[in-house]
Order: sequence, then structure tokens, then C-alpha cells
Amino acid sequence: MLGGYISDLEAGDVFEPVRYLLTPEAISAYATGNEEDGDWFHGDDNPWGRQVRPPTMIHSDKMRLLEANCLKEQRIAGMTGQGPELESDARIHYEYHAKQHSPAFAGEELVVSGRIADRYERRGRDYLLYELEVRTADGRLVTTYRDRTVLRYRKEDDR
Amino acid sequence: MSALTADPQPLAVGAELSGPEIVVNADRLAAYGDGLLSSAAGRAVQVGSNIHTDVELARSQGLPAPIADGMLSTNYLSSMLTRAFGRFYIENGELRTKFIKPVPVDTLLRVRGRVRAREELGDGRVRYELDVWTENGNGVKVVDGDAAVEVTE
Repeated sequence: MLGGYISDLEAGDVFEPVRYLLTPEAISAYATGNEEDGDWFHGDDNPWGRQVRPPTMIHSDKMRLLEANCLKEQRIAGMTGQGPELESDARIHYEYHAKQHSPAFAGEELVVSGRIADRYERRGRDYLLYELEVRTADGRLVTTYRDRTVLRYRKEDDR
Repeated sequence: MSALTADPQPLAVGAELSGPEIVVNADRLAAYGDGLLSSAAGRAVQVGSNIHTDVELARSQGLPAPIADGMLSTNYLSSMLTRAFGRFYIENGELRTKFIKPVPVDTLLRVRGRVRAREELGDGRVRYELDVWTENGNGVKVVDGDAAVEVTE
């Protein structure tokens, strides 16, 4: 179910897409946080002549999508003091799987869409399987992405 | 700033790749959080309390200490692949990582890769498949994964 907590998400839920402008500052911030000092990610001096984002920035897109679709658990706002303090369990990322189809550049408008492909329990923990894709506003495919996340680290039996 | 190279050097099956050795200390985890959240928020913000930065919160969630986000390892691996495969990794690379063990704050991480397969596709196109992982100071894998990229050589 959309609109609530991340733990309310169910298999088959389709996220309302998020559209945003990819700024040079956002790319540099992401790269800097990961100590990626390669010049391609901080300016236009690269094979494409435009500042390009790291492929892993799909992780940031996932956060944007959840922020817009899980209104009772806005983790960006909660972790930066811009919204209600988070009361839900921490979500534990378990698997990242991204395939690049084209680069994304500063100044492009991106559209992030996706769905919950599966939700299942394994060894006492609940998992969500996300399937996301990122396209430019004019339809060019940038990244396809699958992500497994554990809804809480502590097992049900340990609570 | 480091200058990246667009066109990669050919690699043989079995060739080893490596990235930096990094101690995942509290400052790094905070900087990582600042960068991720700033990129997602679309403005400069600072990370507050979460299981990567807050000892008490981490313990309340059943963790022994703050842990590194698995994406930190993933990003180090991605940086290693960017340096090995240049623009081709940005254009068509694939990377899968599984976060198989918690990485407590102050863990030493080593970033590693090995070419598993090299296939000639014709017209100078070559597809590489790699095993990639990060390991702690005791040589124990904490993140395991694989990668693929097609290049023109």
C-alpha cells in the first residue's frame, strides 16, 4: 500500500513516478560523499563533454521515490531534521543490482518509476524486492535497477 | 580531483583489480550520509541520527555498533570499475552487490575484483565479467558481487 510506511508496501504496488532536474550540485554531493574524486563527476571535462552522474546514484533515486510514496516514513526529511523524527525500524539494504543503459548528465530531467516486485519472509526477516527504472524526460533509458531491502534487522523471534 | 581515462586497457581472465584500502570511520559514514541525502534532497543537508551514525539507535535495532551502508562498498567498487573500464562502464556497466556481513564502524575495507570471463563479440567489442567484493582486515568478505561491461578494444 502506498502512502504509508515502507513496511506497508506490498507486492504489486506501483510507485507514483518522480520527476526531477539532475543538478551539478547533486552529482557532486553524491560523488563527494563516496570519495569519488574522478573529474568526470565534478565537471564537463569528460568523453561526453557534460558532467555525468555515477551509475550508483540510482540509490539516491530510490530514496526520492520512497519519500514521495511513503508519506508516513519520509526518511530524507526525518534524517535531516526537516520532518518528523523517524519512529519506524531502520531499513537494511541487502542487495543492489544496477544495469546502465546510457549516461545521465547534469541539466537533464529524470523520471524515476518502479514497483514492488515481491515481498517475502526468509529466516525470520521480511524482504522487499524493488524494480526501478530511470529515464530522461524524453524517454531515453538510463538505468534499470533491482534492490532487496530487509524491513528490520532484528528477527521477529528476537523482538 | 583525479583525471579519469576514457578508454580501458585490455585485461586477461584472472586479472586482479583493486581499489583503495579504507577504514570506515565515523567521519566517513557521516560524509557518506551527507552526500547521499543532499543528492536525494536536491539541496545541501546534513545527516542526523541513523544506524550508520548513532550508537544508541544502532543498538536499539539489534546491531552491535553503527554499521556502514552497503552502498559505501558498492560505490568503492563502482569507482574501481570506472577506473578499469572508463566510459564503457558509465555507458553500459552492470554491477550487483550483496551485503553479506555487517561492517561496523572503524572496519578496514579492501576493495577487490577479478576478471572471470572475457568474450570477443566481434567488431572489436569485448564483454568482460568480473567477480567483485570488499573484504575486511581479516580477509573476510563483507560484500560480494559481480559485474559486467562491454568495451571496444
